[in-house]
Amino acid sequence: MDHGKIVELMSAETPRKKLPTYQVVISFIIRDFLIWWTYKFWLTLDISGNILFVATYYLFSLITSPQQIREAGYVTGGYFTFALIGIAFQQYVFFAVQSINQSVREEQVNGTMETVLSSATDFKVFLLGETCFFFIICSAFLFISFFVGYLLGATFTLSLESLLSVIVLSALLIASHMAIGVLSAGVIMKTKQGNPLTWVFSWLTQLVSGVFYPLKLLPWYLEWIGKLFPLTYSLDGIRLCLQGGQSLASPAVMNNIINLLIFTVVATPIAVYVFKLGYDAARRDGSLGQY
Amino acid sequence: MKVDQIIELFREEFPRSSSELKHTWAVFWANFKIFLSYRTWVITETLSTVASIAMYFFMGLQVDTNRFISAGYGDVTWLAFAIVGVSTANYLWMCISRISHSLQHEVSEGTLEPIVSSMIKLRSYIIGQSIRGFIVSSYFMVGTLLIGVLVLKAPLTLTVETLLSFIVILVMMIVSYAGIGIMAAGIILVYKKGDPMTFLLASITEFLGGVLFPLNYLQSYPILYGLAWAMPYTYALDAARRILLTGATLASPPVLYNFAVLVLFTLVFMPIGLRTFRWGMDRIRREGTVATY
Repeated sequence: MDHGKIVELMSAETPRKKLPTYQVVISFIIRDFLIWWTYKFWLTLDISGNILFVATYYLFSLITSPQQIREAGYVTGGYFTFALIGIAFQQYVFFAVQSINQSVREEQVNGTMETVLSSATDFKVFLLGETCFFFIICSAFLFISFFVGYLLGATFTLSLESLLSVIVLSALLIASHMAIGVLSAGVIMKTKQGNPLTWVFSWLTQLVSGVFYPLKLLPWYLEWIGKLFPLTYSLDGIRLCLQGGQSLASPAVMNNIINLLIFTVVATPIAVYVFKLGYDAARRDGSLGQY
Repeated sequence: MKVDQIIELFREEFPRSSSELKHTWAVFWANFKIFLSYRTWVITETLSTVASIAMYFFMGLQVDTNRFISAGYGDVTWLAFAIVGVSTANYLWMCISRISHSLQHEVSEGTLEPIVSSMIKLRSYIIGQSIRGFIVSSYFMVGTLLIGVLVLKAPLTLTVETLLSFIVILVMMIVSYAGIGIMAAGIILVYKKGDPMTFLLASITEFLGGVLFPLNYLQSYPILYGLAWAMPYTYALDAARRILLTGATLASPPVLYNFAVLVLFTLVFMPIGLRTFRWGMDRIRREGTVATY
């Protein structure tokens, strides 16, 4: 291209208009998808890892007794179905908590954070856009896990009511954990470092939220700590629906939903406030572009 | 510091040692100091190890003792069975991925060329990095076993004979996989990628090796069962479990058989690994791509 044309192109006045939120979010999804699609080998590895993980717990389930699972109210499917639900849905925790951190950190390291946030894009739209793609990917991995589990013999109590209830519980699971991710991203905005607290949160959740065993097996103090984590309520509700045939109409499931709602309503404004504090502090210091 | 002082510093003649032992020590010490500076990482990894052992303890409460005992390791608990599996699997992959991981790091940081151009032989570099890998991995492995035995009361047979036999099997396990680690490093030198392969191999090995379940349950899938016994890790884990769970030693025929198979794997993989590494090194030198990534 002739240099005159390049100068002309740069000098041309482009009318700028504020795009609707959904268009910005779609742009984020397309951008992330295009980047992700270039790493096909990693994609294959992720899928293989997922399948191997499910298969490991299938083989482990062959030496377990279904007694404790049934006593906890999950009557259909035994240990394998129980663990499969735990494995598949805990990925959402990873998604919600880690993906926002990861995105913010990548933008910082790549030096694109300042550019993005100096544009007309609002930081809330930025956060939404960054997380939507990960949500789609994690949903795909959830279906892969369930499909592999189904082929290996996992059984569920399925009805329209129970499926709808699972969708509601999944939405609340994402919303409640998203708050933790946003809060942590706010800290990273200011500190420019990976946040070990998020990491501790992830493994503590796995330990006390009943991903691989019913909460009744924990000593009282760990069971009590488990009740502070939203994944505990999400998994219990989802299992009661898919392994116990219950739905939103059942008091036990409704109780879980109320607890998740309380957590989300309390945690979300706090998280957005902390993110805004970190964001404003970084803008004030002029350190948005630093990493 | 003044400019003159800096120039003076560069001009100063330092006696350069050609001792490989000193080079190996220097590589180890430099990397160990870097490791010690990552205090947060050490703390979070330690906590995560403790949490994962606790998780296995609670998982073990759901195991049907009769089904587990019928799998052939005698009257032992699943927790002890799993702790030996998890600790050896983590130890193996922390050691093996160390060489390829550190080379990839040097390539991306642009420090491989200075290392290759220096007096340090790559042999010293690899040994130094490996020693650092062994020490860090041993910290996590010994920690896992100690928590299992002292806190969770996992019944492991710990005598001088069993401990010595276990160490010999561990060393053979690492040596039998070292060829693969060195091969991965050679591939990384040329293609500047390769860690994903090590990751995939680690996942497959952990699954087929029977870290969390007795291998007898794989017998219903003859292909997978056959593949499991085509990997050195399966023999190493079987020997480690026989030693720590049932009190066998190197003198016991099943352990001795596993040891012999590990020696055989070493004799096969090591020359292939060394040859691949030499091929990679020669190629990047010839093509002048030591510094590219």
